[in-house]
Amino acid sequence: MRRVAEAILVAALMSVVALAQAGGPSVEMAPAGITPIMRGEPSMVELNFRVKQGFHINSNHPNSAYLIPTALKLDAPTDIAIGKIDYPQGRNLSFAFAPDEKLNVYSGDFAVKVTVHPLHTAMPGKYNVRGQLRYQACDDRACYPPRNLPVRFEVQVKKTAPHTRPNRQSPHVHS
Amino acid sequence: MPDSMHNEVKPPEEQGHLSGQNAAPQQPEASAAAYGPHARRNAAVIIVVVVAVAAMLIGGQYLAHKGERSGSITAGGPKPGTAAPNFALQSLDGKTVHLSDFRGKAVLLNFWATWCTPCRLEMPWFVELEKQYGPQGLQVVGVAMDDAGPDKIAKFAKEMGVNYPVLLGKESVGDEYGGLEYLPTSFYLDRDGKVVQRVFGLRSRSDIEDWVKEALSKGSSVAEKRQ
Repeated sequence: MRRVAEAILVAALMSVVALAQAGGPSVEMAPAGITPIMRGEPSMVELNFRVKQGFHINSNHPNSAYLIPTALKLDAPTDIAIGKIDYPQGRNLSFAFAPDEKLNVYSGDFAVKVTVHPLHTAMPGKYNVRGQLRYQACDDRACYPPRNLPVRFEVQVKKTAPHTRPNRQSPHVHS
Repeated sequence: MPDSMHNEVKPPEEQGHLSGQNAAPQQPEASAAAYGPHARRNAAVIIVVVVAVAAMLIGGQYLAHKGERSGSITAGGPKPGTAAPNFALQSLDGKTVHLSDFRGKAVLLNFWATWCTPCRLEMPWFVELEKQYGPQGLQVVGVAMDDAGPDKIAKFAKEMGVNYPVLLGKESVGDEYGGLEYLPTSFYLDRDGKVVQRVFGLRSRSDIEDWVKEALSKGSSVAEKRQ
């Protein structure tokens, strides 16, 4: 009982710390379900992110070379290849600190699509793909140093459907 | 190898005997014990934990919402009235510059980065203020807290027409100035190197000019001149 009580208190304390720190910018990733994919065939996995209200982050193609683009970097397990990463188009917005300038940003919800390609040699089963989303956030008065958000999702590799052969009767067999 | 192949089968003791226990008929002694001193103590522990958890969660929510509502940026670093920590940083032309080199001048110490758009808005104001108040003893000093190399920072500073020294920041210096969680961050120092004002985030040009005047008006050298 005492151990349970201590564990609850520690968990609550950690929650309080997390909540108290919630004043800063943040990007969260929605929990990604397990995506079934067929061995040997490329599939698309959609990852959904949310930028905390009041903040924005640069898009993958910001309007200035000095700005840090949002970028997803993934480390795939053996036998899984990561293909193209499709970023959404940002919105061109002006902010109070630069009214004459349009910045290409993400705010609110946005989704990044990742092409996952299990090789023909991949064993059927669950695979974890891990990585990080690098972003740099600002609000209407200040900018915050670049941060890395841990990213994780699972894919379930399945065997490809067996190719059905046409049931041809041998011309040499006659009934 | 897929992760599912690493799944372990739990030993029976971890799979839960509780169902078996629950299924057992309750003994009369057990029901008596339910009202004994142990049970009362356990109930008290549960109540204390629940109250403590609720208080902490409410407190955490309050702190988070307070920060959001006020919209105020608060951070650490040297407070007004205290001496600004000295540092030695490389300038863009490769010289080592100490903060103490500017003793006797009012210093506008501005931490910025090339990726910080609000910082870019302030820089032309600093250029004007350096021209206007430089003869009276103002020294603007920019510190680039940036992973970009010196060439990129120099190119940026040139594009902005910067007419004051730009130094290459270090994390250790950033830590001494409160961690610099937000940019721009500026410290206004009087002629003795004491902090007059610290400002986190973008402010208006008129506010900045007021703080420059305040910094110029303070310090022992100003007092000596008056005497």
